[in-house]
Amino acid sequence: MSVVIETQEIEVAYGDMSVVRGVSLEVRRGEAVAVIGPNGAGKTTLFKAIAGMLALRRGRIVFEGARFDGLRHYDVVRRGVVYVPAERELFPQMSVLENLELGAYTNYASRAERLKFVLGVFPRLDERKGQMAGTLSGGEQQMLAVGRGLMAKPSILLLDEPSTGLAPLFVSEMYRQLSRLRAEGLTILLAEQQIPHALAFTDRAYVLENGGIRLSGKSKDLLGDPEIQRTYLGMA
Amino acid sequence: MVAILIDGIVQGLQLSLMAVGITLIYGLGGVLNLAHGQFAVVGGIAAALCLEAGANPLVACAIGILGAGVFGLLVDRTLLLPAYRSAGEDRLLLGLLITLGLSFVVNGYLDYRYANISLTIKLATPSFEVAGITVRSASAVAACIAMVAFALLFAFLKATLLGKVIRSIIQNEVGAGLCGINPGRIRTLIVTLSAMMAGLGGVVQGLFSSLGTEMGNELTSFALIVAVVGGVRSINGTLAAGVLLGIVNAFASYYVGAYLTLIILLATAAFTILLRPAGLFASRT
Repeated sequence: MSVVIETQEIEVAYGDMSVVRGVSLEVRRGEAVAVIGPNGAGKTTLFKAIAGMLALRRGRIVFEGARFDGLRHYDVVRRGVVYVPAERELFPQMSVLENLELGAYTNYASRAERLKFVLGVFPRLDERKGQMAGTLSGGEQQMLAVGRGLMAKPSILLLDEPSTGLAPLFVSEMYRQLSRLRAEGLTILLAEQQIPHALAFTDRAYVLENGGIRLSGKSKDLLGDPEIQRTYLGMA
Repeated sequence: MVAILIDGIVQGLQLSLMAVGITLIYGLGGVLNLAHGQFAVVGGIAAALCLEAGANPLVACAIGILGAGVFGLLVDRTLLLPAYRSAGEDRLLLGLLITLGLSFVVNGYLDYRYANISLTIKLATPSFEVAGITVRSASAVAACIAMVAFALLFAFLKATLLGKVIRSIIQNEVGAGLCGINPGRIRTLIVTLSAMMAGLGGVVQGLFSSLGTEMGNELTSFALIVAVVGGVRSINGTLAAGVLLGIVNAFASYYVGAYLTLIILLATAAFTILLRPAGLFASRT
């Protein structure tokens, strides 16, 4: 499998404070990779840096064999790297349909085909097509955020904490739909605090602590790792 | 009474034409444009100069509106760049200072260079009667122009991709970026379009009464009041606020005179803001 995206020793800082320190990771085509870790570990900062929303202090990002860092976040989307942040960043006073259509801004000609695909993945959005995004429930807004990301036909989808603020039922539903996307070959990099869900869903995972990678390996191995079980899953 | 009401609505529509530009530029660029009235005056004076040179009135007005647009484009691509490089409150403050300075420079230059020029467009038929009410032709034409402009603007924002993109940036610039939208490019387009709307407002002022070189600050002030009352990110609110304040202005001018009119207008604005602090239709664009 070819490498879709790779970070090489990247460092990201807010002012003088380094939040991500020397992180190297890679995601291969068709893979789902998790970045797990506690609050404040640097997961969101890492994702924002890959998405072009934060500048690198050091290191580089390679996407499909070519250097990628330094691009503005809207140009990153054009290359096929689509970021879905935990805050969702929807357009609250626009309809579900308008939000989805704008997701296809970079390939607007194929929006009808993408819309059919996205509404097939999230039938609930089809039922809410005309509703304002700001009036949707938290779970539906999360579906819309992921659906809007899918409209761009991404080469890789960066999903930041998709389960934040969702009821357990919605978390399970979300992961069921993400599994379907995986089965269709979508490459996913996922940041998550719901560690059992994240490890069950992905092929490989990186454990981020204090801005650096502490552990990495196959997700099923990490799920059985005593240290992970003790530190993150609350098992004795 | 009906004639005053019609005059008020026309004045209100004209104010809305100006204010909608302030709303759009603030919504997309985070800059509160204190030189917006000067865009209108530049457009109006350009039209007046064309008229003086013997141009057809329609051509003169079109040149004036385009002139205002070109002026807006130049301001966006030069003077406002330092503001766009900042973010949040820094951008707002820098934008205020830059546009305030620009308004002084434009006022000074126009007063020095074109002090005796003003735009007054006279129609062949001064007035006509509808159901026993005398209506000034200029009012009717001005109202039609403003309503057509607003209808086109609403259709553009609602039905076209570019319109949806503009609304998306106003609602959530970060979200727009995540869709691959470059806000800078759209912003330039909007400043140009807003300047053209201001130019149209200037032409309508020339039709309604007269537009002089000294009117920039007055137009900016009225447009700002309308934009704030309407909610500075709401286009529907701006239109409603313009019409409301236009009607208040017309009745106050007729019944209590010009001196108290501004006080009544500001009191109405303050009262509306107290009732609806985020604007008349705060949550809608």
